[in-house]
Amino acid sequence: MANTIDAKLLSKMFLAGAKNLEAKKEWINDLNVFPVPDGDTGTNMTLTIMSAAKEVASMENPDMLSLCKAISSGSLRGARGNSGVILSQLFRGFTKVIREKDALNVEILADAFEKAVETAYKAVMKPKEGTILTVAKGGSVRARELAEEGCEDLSYFIDEVIKYADEVLERTPEMLPVLKQAGVVDSGGQGLMQVLKGAYDAYLGKEVDLSIPVVTHVKAMQSGADAKTEADIKFGYCTEFIIMLTRNFNIKQEIDFKAYLESIGDSIVVVADDDVVKVHVHTNDPGLAIQKALKYGALSNMKIDNMRLEHQEKLFKEQEAAAEEQKKEKTPHKETGFIAVSAGDGINEIFRGLGVDHIIEGGQTMNPSTEDMLNAIDEVNADTVFILPNNKNIILAANQAKAMTEGKKIIVIPTKTIPQGITAIINYVPDLASGDNEVAMNGEIGNVRTGQVTYAVRDTVIEDKEIKQGDYMGIGDSGILSVEKDVTDAAFRMVQEMMDDSLELISIYYGAEVTEEAAGILKDRIEEAFPSCDVELQYGGQPIYYYIISAE
Amino acid sequence: MGKVAIITDSNSGITQKQGKELGIFVLPMPFMINEETFFEDIDLTQEEFYEKLETGANVVTSQPSPESVLNLWKEVLGEYDEIVHIPMSSGLSGSCQSAMMLAEDFEGKVQVVNNQRISVTQRQSALDALSLAGKGMGAAQIKDFLEKDKFNSSIYIMLDTLYYLKKGGRITPAAAAIGTLLKLKPVLQIQGEKLDAFAKARTAGQGKTTMINAIRSDMENRFGGAASDNIWLQVAYTKDREAALAFKEELLSEFPGFPIQVDPLSLSVACHIGPGALAVACCKKI
Repeated sequence: MANTIDAKLLSKMFLAGAKNLEAKKEWINDLNVFPVPDGDTGTNMTLTIMSAAKEVASMENPDMLSLCKAISSGSLRGARGNSGVILSQLFRGFTKVIREKDALNVEILADAFEKAVETAYKAVMKPKEGTILTVAKGGSVRARELAEEGCEDLSYFIDEVIKYADEVLERTPEMLPVLKQAGVVDSGGQGLMQVLKGAYDAYLGKEVDLSIPVVTHVKAMQSGADAKTEADIKFGYCTEFIIMLTRNFNIKQEIDFKAYLESIGDSIVVVADDDVVKVHVHTNDPGLAIQKALKYGALSNMKIDNMRLEHQEKLFKEQEAAAEEQKKEKTPHKETGFIAVSAGDGINEIFRGLGVDHIIEGGQTMNPSTEDMLNAIDEVNADTVFILPNNKNIILAANQAKAMTEGKKIIVIPTKTIPQGITAIINYVPDLASGDNEVAMNGEIGNVRTGQVTYAVRDTVIEDKEIKQGDYMGIGDSGILSVEKDVTDAAFRMVQEMMDDSLELISIYYGAEVTEEAAGILKDRIEEAFPSCDVELQYGGQPIYYYIISAE
Repeated sequence: MGKVAIITDSNSGITQKQGKELGIFVLPMPFMINEETFFEDIDLTQEEFYEKLETGANVVTSQPSPESVLNLWKEVLGEYDEIVHIPMSSGLSGSCQSAMMLAEDFEGKVQVVNNQRISVTQRQSALDALSLAGKGMGAAQIKDFLEKDKFNSSIYIMLDTLYYLKKGGRITPAAAAIGTLLKLKPVLQIQGEKLDAFAKARTAGQGKTTMINAIRSDMENRFGGAASDNIWLQVAYTKDREAALAFKEELLSEFPGFPIQVDPLSLSVACHIGPGALAVACCKKI
């Protein structure tokens, strides 16, 4: 086993680390503290590292310098979500130390780990302990110790560093109470460990599949639910029908039937009543499901869709729409421009009406990458560009894009929610200097309270509130405000928690899955409860969130 | 050197009664309401005006008739040697243009000041003119002085609604610039002759903050510093005096020690912006 790491081996280790992270992606996603369908850490970190892995995989016999450049710039551009940005900064710091070397030993690696941690801490405005940062720091502290003890055995060194970082990871719940209550370790830290472990396996010479699929560039244009690529569709036909029972269908038959469906597909729903059974399955052979069902009775309401075709059509339409969009946005040069991250046609329209030049579709489930930001900045023909990230997990990527932009002044207003973004741009005053505007906008976003209603993706307990999968939750600026079985109740209770006497205006943006009628009922209820407030109802059309509500 | 009279119109917010006390002549502005003519503060009170405006009456402003202007001048010249006439901003009305034309026949005895003031800033001009006259300046000198000083004032107005602005069709560029799906409170500015869109706000609180920031910036960057010995600070409003007094308190905590004049906005502005508007203005002291 080599006692130094050269460029060729490092390249292999990096790819193996990336692959290992990708393989554990879903598992890391499940470590999310909040049971909301959101910008998943595993997905974000994987997209970040894969952006670099693609560049690395395309190089034949790279030297250390070009390898380092590929790792650093690839991950910086692909960075998405907070953990992705931090990961990219770790790589940036790490490669800064090793880029001039031909081969890496314990001493150099200890330096590189230290530089990585230092760089990542600097990238975060308020570093929080109990996160990926703490795990990385643990690893670098152990690396330094080993180097000072005169350790020269690389294998032992890497193994020890990983062991200690793992110990630190296990302690993250003690440092962050939210982790403890949710009963998980930090997801970003776990992601980092998977990269290190994958890399170590490659170092040890274990057989690792290093092929990096040439994935077509995943645009942030696709909103979360649609982000599946065709390859992700394992079972092609969405099959639905109702069995009108002519034979006994007891719990035993139900279990058998479900097991059979599981053997031929997924996304299975079987709901049995006294005389009917409703069935839903994604499978490649709908005939098998139908044949099996015929044994229990006659079938009705049959519906079979080819999901792969639908998906292609959808992608095609999206591309067309995107092209159309961008064509329109070739605008003459101006002094100041705006970029907003937004989701939902209603909210997009509101932002455009307020003067936003370029909208990056994205948000909760799909965090745009630094590169998406850079492309948007390119599109906006202005000297000064304000960016409204409108999500707390996108602010870092925006800041990273700012640092990588030359020739334009970029001002990131750290808006954490859509309503904060709306308030920020409303309070922009064209006649004032951009610096004055930045101060005023930053001041005003602090006066907006936001609440968002979504559903729980799993059972959990947070802040002593018991939450069941499928419950509706109202989430405020600093935690969960309401948990209800009914979506309108959840929204109403949330607003009650948000309110105090100083507030003048409540704005309700209802999502794609809410009817105008249902939203109107909520509005009436809120108006009745808070007669001194103006209540405004707007169509938002956003995914994931049934309601986004602000009070200011 | 003769005796100099100061004349302004009721846009200055100076009531007939205050005018008598101050020694300023106030020309009442005529309004056509459902085709009937009324005169501000003579046979039309603020309350009556808003009642008519809000019930959808057709309210139209017009400039004072030449006859009423000439009659007032002739009457005043019986007692005084010269007149300084300060009409509302030439950017907002033809009153100034007409008055200048009429004055041509008075061989310099009537000096019409074209200093583009309105409401509380117009009021301050009239008071300034009075004090300059007291120092012994002639009408031509006073006119000159006030016109040189014309850009040393600034007004910001927050509207409760865009409705009247749109209805009037008079300030379309400003209204158009603010068009959006959301309900917004536009903030307008009057600088010199322009009435223009300045900013927008979602709530009254935000609008007030925007106006306070803007007026502070004007004081510091244009009028030589935010100090009470340097600046007159004023609040104006349409209909809601209580809100104006509350705004005054907010301004006092931002600009402690400033004497702040609170006046209703003149009705000729009010009919374009509707009730519930709040304004802050400042003038550099002469």
